[in-house]
Amino acid sequence: MTLPSVDRLNAAICAIAATRDRAAFQIVFDHFAPRVKSYLVRLGASAPLAEDLAQEALLTVWRKAALFDPARASASTWIFTIARNLRIDAIRRERRPDLDPNDPSLQPEAERDAGDSLDWGKAEDRLRTALAALPKEQAEIISLSFLAEKPHSAIAAELGLPLGTVKSRIRLAMARLRLALGDSP
Amino acid sequence: MSIAHHPGEELLLSYASGAANEAVALLVASHLALCRQCRLVVASSEAAGGSLLEDIPPVAMSAQAYQSVLSRLDEPAAAIVRSAHLDSSVPAPLRAYIGNDIDGIAWRPIVSGLAHYPLVTRDGVRARLIRAEPGAGVAPHTHRGEEWTLVLTGSFSDVTGRYGPGDVQTTTPDIEHQPTADPGPACINLAVTDAPLVFRGFLPKLVGKMFGF
Repeated sequence: MTLPSVDRLNAAICAIAATRDRAAFQIVFDHFAPRVKSYLVRLGASAPLAEDLAQEALLTVWRKAALFDPARASASTWIFTIARNLRIDAIRRERRPDLDPNDPSLQPEAERDAGDSLDWGKAEDRLRTALAALPKEQAEIISLSFLAEKPHSAIAAELGLPLGTVKSRIRLAMARLRLALGDSP
Repeated sequence: MSIAHHPGEELLLSYASGAANEAVALLVASHLALCRQCRLVVASSEAAGGSLLEDIPPVAMSAQAYQSVLSRLDEPAAAIVRSAHLDSSVPAPLRAYIGNDIDGIAWRPIVSGLAHYPLVTRDGVRARLIRAEPGAGVAPHTHRGEEWTLVLTGSFSDVTGRYGPGDVQTTTPDIEHQPTADPGPACINLAVTDAPLVFRGFLPKLVGKMFGF
């Protein structure tokens, strides 16, 4: 079975927003629900809880499809943020102080952000390539940051590294990723 | 607003990954509301998260999962609320904690010219607002852990420099400082500490203990 392309998944979410398209929803569900479940299991959720939250995440995709903007993020990035927030809410029982990227009170103004922002759809392709090309020791720390949910001090202890080394690897990795995005702050 | 001091990239990454707890996330999100540059760093980190999600080995859903979600698609859902444009000096993420009016906060005095307002404590990490009148400041101290301070109004200075609205000061255990509010409007900042401060002198130690610093 070939995987649906990034463009196809993005388009499917737009179709859900535009016409409540259930066939499009099935494409998104089949692709992402097992990945969201896997992500939650990796972060320590039991299989039944991960199953419930993955279903909830995909239900959120259906309900909030109108907020998805392929110019700002790919389907996988958007769904990652949904899964991350659901997990914080359900497992840590914490509020997630979050930003609505369309909030007009953002400074400098959000409108200007949109005007001069890069095309994230394209930029994310480059970012994936850059992520795959990161030196192993940098990629390991980025991956642990997302899939182990440990403070960087714990990651440092686990890898037997000074905290400063972990932080500098993060900075190096982030610089490469930003370069790949073509962002020059 | 020109922001000169930004949170470290490891802090932005821990916010993007979801590892940061609520107290740290509140500080980062409030800074992001004021700083486009850091919004881009977080967006790139989230894209890295999306990419990892894409590449993770899938775990099969239960046989009835899809049907079960389908049966819920027509449930009424809460309306999508978009943030209203508010003329407020309170960054959007902070409004859930203190409302829109920074002048309406029920400050708790500490010593003359200095007051605080606790916001949230998670895993021993405390987020609070601190209000210092010009010339007032926190007694000399070092830290057992890290301290992040986001300036909301006014400015303060210490041995490491001057911090104005939107700036985030990061201090580590080796820094001893005595942050003092500059002349002008009162300096209100959001301070997050992951361990108690270490004051010099008996009185500051006592005051620090009383107010949970």
